[in-house]
Amino acid sequence: MDIALIGNPNTGKTSLFNNLTGSYEYVGNWSGVTVEKKVGILKNQRDQLIDLPGVYTLNPLSKDEGVVTIFFLNEPFDMLLNILDASQLRRNLHLTIQLLEFGAPIVIGLNMVDVAGNRGIKIDSRNLSACLGVPVVPVVARTGKGCDSLAEMISAEAGQPDIAFEVDYGPAVEKATAALKEKLAGRTKIPARWLAIQFLEGNQYVREFLLNFIGGSELNELLEFVETQLKTDGVKETLEQYMYRKRSEAIETVVARSMVRTEGAGTPLSEKIDRIATNKILGIPLFLLLMYLMFMLTFDWLGFPLSDALDAVITGPVTDWISAGLAAVGASEFINALILDGIVAGVGGVLVFVPQIFILFFFISLLEDSGYMARVALVMDRVMEAAGLNGKAFIPMMIGFGCNVPGIMAARTIETPKERLLTILLTPLMSCSARLPVYALFAGAFFAGDKALIVLSLYVLGIVVALILAKIFSITVLKGETSLFVIELPPYRVPQIQALWRSTWEKGKGFVKKAGTFIFAGSVLIWLLSYAGPGGLKVPMDDSYLAMIGGIFAPIFAPIGFGTWQAGASLLTGFLAKESIISTMNIIYFVPDEATLQGLLSQHFTPLAAYSFMVFILLYVPCLATAATIYKETGSRRWTAFSIGYALLIAYLLSFIVYQGGKLAGWA
Amino acid sequence: MMTIEKVMAMLGEMKKGEKALIKSISGADRFVRRRLLDLGIAEGAEVCIKCVLPFGGPVMLESCGQCVGIRRREAFRIEVERV
Repeated sequence: MDIALIGNPNTGKTSLFNNLTGSYEYVGNWSGVTVEKKVGILKNQRDQLIDLPGVYTLNPLSKDEGVVTIFFLNEPFDMLLNILDASQLRRNLHLTIQLLEFGAPIVIGLNMVDVAGNRGIKIDSRNLSACLGVPVVPVVARTGKGCDSLAEMISAEAGQPDIAFEVDYGPAVEKATAALKEKLAGRTKIPARWLAIQFLEGNQYVREFLLNFIGGSELNELLEFVETQLKTDGVKETLEQYMYRKRSEAIETVVARSMVRTEGAGTPLSEKIDRIATNKILGIPLFLLLMYLMFMLTFDWLGFPLSDALDAVITGPVTDWISAGLAAVGASEFINALILDGIVAGVGGVLVFVPQIFILFFFISLLEDSGYMARVALVMDRVMEAAGLNGKAFIPMMIGFGCNVPGIMAARTIETPKERLLTILLTPLMSCSARLPVYALFAGAFFAGDKALIVLSLYVLGIVVALILAKIFSITVLKGETSLFVIELPPYRVPQIQALWRSTWEKGKGFVKKAGTFIFAGSVLIWLLSYAGPGGLKVPMDDSYLAMIGGIFAPIFAPIGFGTWQAGASLLTGFLAKESIISTMNIIYFVPDEATLQGLLSQHFTPLAAYSFMVFILLYVPCLATAATIYKETGSRRWTAFSIGYALLIAYLLSFIVYQGGKLAGWA
Repeated sequence: MMTIEKVMAMLGEMKKGEKALIKSISGADRFVRRRLLDLGIAEGAEVCIKCVLPFGGPVMLESCGQCVGIRRREAFRIEVERV
């Protein structure tokens, strides 16, 4: 049986999904975490649960919400599991009613009963169930309370629904329904009444769907008929408002029978926190301070010593153990070199940064889970507006700090197409975790005293460049369309350790996996290219194929401070995955550990050239996976090419300014 | 008449901590109006201004225990009655 999980944003859908399926799903506390349809197997090992993006209604405003409407129109499913936020019953019921109108079997999970209780709201789930004619099970999705009985109810409830509830939209709408039903003449299984109601409310997706069966002029006639009919009945609102009001009235009768209000318990904690978090004066400084703390912990206080320790383990005992093993099996010199100089150097050089990356991912998960992310969007809106974007675009960018790919996908929650495209194009400028090893290595070698500040300067540079480019693009290539911003601010929630760990691991495991596959294969290839040359095998590295390939690009990079074949070769591999830059360097400079590599680097780079190199790495090109995601999300080769082209251009330009400007200032 | 004049206002004029009843949101942009309706903020709803961000930044409203941020420009297109 296929069960679709549906509900408003921030109602705990993903938590419920995790509890019912026992799978590790990505959880976040801001609208639009679920940007794609996700499927899990229920604990009974039989039924499938489909996690849909959170929506307020089936009439979509953003592409993210459109996913749900498309699902209803095109995908078969057997049952709906509708999750309601008990503390926001009225708003949540608008969606429930549209689901009831669709006519599929429904079970309702009434979530956040505890939150509602704190606010003095008590809901009688039996009465609610009686009003709507569908089963209602109270749950606390975060702790898993009630989930078992919900699961039982789902298994028991297959079959035809016994929906007792119907909204009276008035005779005009009912006549239109009848007319539509006649025109459709059974050519679709979707209930005519649902189609009529959605169409009259202005649902574009449903209109498109109906155009498959009915001509556009006939549909317009139907719309006009209802509008004139309502006007003669003395209705002054627009059709959309009228439908909304009728539904609201019906909801009031349900609420009256099932909700009891008592005295709430003082000022909620959320409001107290918001007095500081979204404070007029403190808002932005507080955000910057939190970012600063996050970077100090990742790069300096905690992450750095951990990475150092791991490096010591990999270059010490692990390498000794592997070489002993190789000697024991009598491996040839070639195999020996391949494994130690190629794979251990390449993959190990990347794995060393796992602690720092996990710390960074932990903080990003914490920001998402706690509800602070939406506040950041609110606080940053004024700045983003000046750049031609809206505050919501800041969320994909923050996620982009972890990895650009989910960042770009999160842009789907932005309603206006222009702002969405801008966000997609600019998110690659956010310094993702794969770029972090490069900074850690170079900052450690050249700016040991203030590593974290140097790295922070790069992250900030990425944001500043993105904002300036947003402004430039929005007045040149992407003109028109006004910018809009409405954001729901969910209550703060104390993140649960288990959920935090899950989402940190979900994000971080990709990095580890990539090290074991992509970087592994890349390391073998790079090593082979460095081992072989026109003169045969085991040539000096400067005569290898790798030196030849890198040498082609070297002259181009000379004006920006790193005209060596080594830099050219690592930048080339960096397009495949940014971590490759580090594994390539480890192989090229083949040295036993990170500290020696840093010593060696100072012979090839001046501190100024090192900074210029980091700036170039920050901006130069989205990696292969990111470019593929940009293509998938924009559906346009032109914009994908544009995103690569402008990045190369801006990276070169800025590195040039940094290097040549720095030289003029006498820093070289 | 004077008292009525005083009571009616635009949401954008309101200060932090003030409460009001929404009178009309038909002046707001179609998209903003739809989203506010989605969040249950319609004519007749009581809202409270929770904060106003600087430099003409957005305002944060609270209605029925839920918080929403909208731009001040849009707030100036929503008619309210002070309570």
